[in-house]
Amino acid sequence: MSHGDTIPLHSSSAQSDMDEIESLIHAAPPSAAAVLPARPPSPPRASIPVSSSPPLLPPPVAGSKPQLPPFSSSSSVASSSSPPLPSSVSVAIAGDGFGPPPNTLTEPVLDTVKRDLARIVSNLKLVVFPNPFREDPGKALRDWDLWGPFFFIVFLGLTLSWSASVKKSEVFAVAFAVLAAGAIILTLNVLLLGGRINFFQSLSLLGYCLFPLDVGALICMLKDNVLLKIIAVVVTLAWSSWAAYPFMSAAVNPRRKALALYPVFLMYVSVGFLIIAID
Amino acid sequence: MDRPQVVTENYANPVTCLFHVLFKAGALVFYILFSLFVKSFVIIFVITVFLAALDFWVVKNVSGRILVGMRWWNEIDDEGNSVWKFECLDGEALARMNKKDSWLFWWTLYLTAAAWIILGIFSLIRLEADYLLVVGVCLTLSLANIVGFTRCNKDAKKNIRGYFEGHAQNAITSRITSTLQSAFGVI
Repeated sequence: MSHGDTIPLHSSSAQSDMDEIESLIHAAPPSAAAVLPARPPSPPRASIPVSSSPPLLPPPVAGSKPQLPPFSSSSSVASSSSPPLPSSVSVAIAGDGFGPPPNTLTEPVLDTVKRDLARIVSNLKLVVFPNPFREDPGKALRDWDLWGPFFFIVFLGLTLSWSASVKKSEVFAVAFAVLAAGAIILTLNVLLLGGRINFFQSLSLLGYCLFPLDVGALICMLKDNVLLKIIAVVVTLAWSSWAAYPFMSAAVNPRRKALALYPVFLMYVSVGFLIIAID
Repeated sequence: MDRPQVVTENYANPVTCLFHVLFKAGALVFYILFSLFVKSFVIIFVITVFLAALDFWVVKNVSGRILVGMRWWNEIDDEGNSVWKFECLDGEALARMNKKDSWLFWWTLYLTAAAWIILGIFSLIRLEADYLLVVGVCLTLSLANIVGFTRCNKDAKKNIRGYFEGHAQNAITSRITSTLQSAFGVI
């Protein structure tokens, strides 16, 4: 019976890694069937109760679908236990008809990759393009991640270092350090002003807002015309500022809006000058 | 398990173990070799940090849940607060986990962080701030995974204990998810 359950589950997942693991598991038992405590990957997982509340029924009725994992996390986490959320907002995963509904502990690797990529794309659209959630920092970037910001910072550093004729290493290191430290300092600035935005949410936001400046840097790298460079940087600088404005302004007290927004604008202007000046 | 074993225990998931180690070793080897022989900092930075990021993702999303049955992540609740979640399988599944897989998982986590600390000390001694940037990023990623899985491990141990106690009482402990308020969250 368990062997009958195994085949459709694997055929539905169509995962090369899982197939390799499965074949290796099947290859191992003949050599040491009696003493090998190796567990086959899917039959026990299919029967593992995965609901957060203790179910009396052996098959789980509901699986947790949590948010996508963050790029990095802070080690200083205050401990305070609270009951787990019964449901969490995440990208909907189409469940197949075999076995229990997929959850993040037993899902195929491909589903994890798809979910991560889908979230990066949705976060980018949310930040740099118009959408109804722009005024609410709590709803926007709820699925925060640091993969997009990381990529944009490295991309900008690479573009600037390629544009530079001398001291490529120093240009890259300075660009990366300025952007990374700048994002952290700006986030602390908002938090110290009593902002209602989350630390990693703010880091994620500021990183995604670099996307227009990345485009500007790319244009400046390809074109040598100084006037064209200035136009490109001004346009992308305005775009980045426009993207960051509603989040940062909504996060703090209206009377302190200028205090929160000015440093963000200052950082983007600095990046703009970096893009224009490096030649 | 109580009987004397003639054949040694094999890894239950050799492919996952391979990828678990591959990106860690790749990042360290690239950093060390390229620092010695190639003087282009940009190439060293991009390749090393890319491999470190890949390793972070693989450990967090794939090898963590396959080798030791644990996973951790962060999400924002309806009030806008940051909630850290640590998830592990139930006691029965955890008790069935391969000990060698678990051993490899934890040791490689700690050894990688130790290696980056040592390399960071070397960069500090030679006053190379740019290479310290590389080590800082890689070390941050390593420590994040160590902290996350250490917190998962606390729940896992409780689950295993509950499983053995419940097994005597003919019951199964369910999966436990603990949540922590972030220090940066708004209370």
